[in-house]
Amino acid sequence: MTGTIPVRVREITALAPTLKRFAFEPAHGGAFPTAPAGGHVMLTLRDGARVMKNAYSLVSPPGARGRYEIIVRKVAQSRGGSAFLHAHVAAGDVLEMAPPVSLFPLAATARKHVLIAGGIGITPMLSFLAELQARGARFELHHLSSPEEVPVFERLLAPYAVDADIRVHGGGRAAFDLAGLLSRQPLGSHVYTCGPHSLMDAVGTTALALGWPRGSVHKESFGAAAGGLPFKAVLTRSGMEVMVGENQTLLEAIEAAGVAARCLCRGGACGECVTRVEEGEVDHRDDFLSDAEKAAGALIMPCVSRARGPRLVLDL
Amino acid sequence: MSDQGIKSRPAYGKITGDPAARHALLVVEGAGLPDELMAEGVDPSAFETWTVAHASTVPGAPVMDEAAGAVRPFRSARQLFSALEERLARETMGLRLCAAGTEPFLWDVFNIGAVAGLTRQEMQFAQMGPQARRIFCVHCRTVSEGITASIVTCAGCGASLFVRDHFSKRLAAFMAVQIDAEVPGEVPPSEEIYR
Repeated sequence: MTGTIPVRVREITALAPTLKRFAFEPAHGGAFPTAPAGGHVMLTLRDGARVMKNAYSLVSPPGARGRYEIIVRKVAQSRGGSAFLHAHVAAGDVLEMAPPVSLFPLAATARKHVLIAGGIGITPMLSFLAELQARGARFELHHLSSPEEVPVFERLLAPYAVDADIRVHGGGRAAFDLAGLLSRQPLGSHVYTCGPHSLMDAVGTTALALGWPRGSVHKESFGAAAGGLPFKAVLTRSGMEVMVGENQTLLEAIEAAGVAARCLCRGGACGECVTRVEEGEVDHRDDFLSDAEKAAGALIMPCVSRARGPRLVLDL
Repeated sequence: MSDQGIKSRPAYGKITGDPAARHALLVVEGAGLPDELMAEGVDPSAFETWTVAHASTVPGAPVMDEAAGAVRPFRSARQLFSALEERLARETMGLRLCAAGTEPFLWDVFNIGAVAGLTRQEMQFAQMGPQARRIFCVHCRTVSEGITASIVTCAGCGASLFVRDHFSKRLAAFMAVQIDAEVPGEVPPSEEIYR
């Protein structure tokens, strides 16, 4: 992961009061790299002196190289990036974007793909749909939405819904028969889920309880609970002390202090930012470290995890 | 020429089953349950079991119980494979497929499972019976069964073949290559080593 691509905002479309679609084109002409299905890009957003880096799934078809699209939800508890995009970014603006990477690939050997999304977790599924239809693959998609947003998601899915098993469920989690859905899937099925952690956890535990092998269950984590009590991080190799605010991640605080930390997904999934802990107790919030590694407490994923106490000493 | 250390050579363990499975089907290349191949503490009645009786006296179709503990005998491995293909085509996720038998039998089962969509994680194999090999002549593609010697004459092209440890899962066979390609006629003595 080196370098960023300058991108120009070509078009902004309001899809719902809190949902906007942003279309980007290469700022200096030419074409974007071919994006992987389920891929995401990282935008660097500069609000005065404050620099925010946010990862967003591409919703444009993987083969579309003239235009990348993302859909951004403005969240009440936003750490700033999404609110900034909604309020301050306009058509014609130029932003820095890291080229797309995918931590959420489609399984090449799957006989059938079962996609289960909740809310804004639909975004990686939109690029999956384009790819699955291009491949002629067998799939079904279930989207769980709040009742008032059902028409919004139905409109987003409409281009893919011809002769396809795509359903938007607005009746709440209890009315969605997850166990029934997962128990009638043929051999060789893979399930993919993206959305609130409670939904992804339910898909994972239900599938495993029904005997699905771990390797056939895939989830895309994004936007884990970010906030927490403020604490101090001591970076021994850089010889610095960094204060981490309550609405800021450890990684953001490290970056704000000018230390270049490795990162890729910024959602606790990829493992790129793993850092050695020399002192202090960790509040682990990632999906990367094993339970044993979390218990040992020698490693932390600064993009989502925090200190469980006033101070952490890191080998950074 | 030594083939020691070929890493693709499959290794086998005992049947442990998988507590997470919704249902487990055990296919056995023999008439009885392979008690000695079950891992310690694993109860054979936790599996629906299919056996190969190698006999024409097996009961007819009416016994179709698909529950754990049921035992269904087949006349031959071929008949079992045919039923297995039909069964897997209508199975759902959560099945584990286990097999006990000779190496060619195990990998025939693997290939039927793979065609049906099962991954390696959902299958388990325990080897029993003779060590005789199925070999594939890499020159003429003839497959020969029951090979017990280190060097054999190919039934298809007549070449003197060295039986390698190089195993193809797709073909469920060991690769066999001409041993006197450099100096025609120079064939070392063969040894009976796969019994």
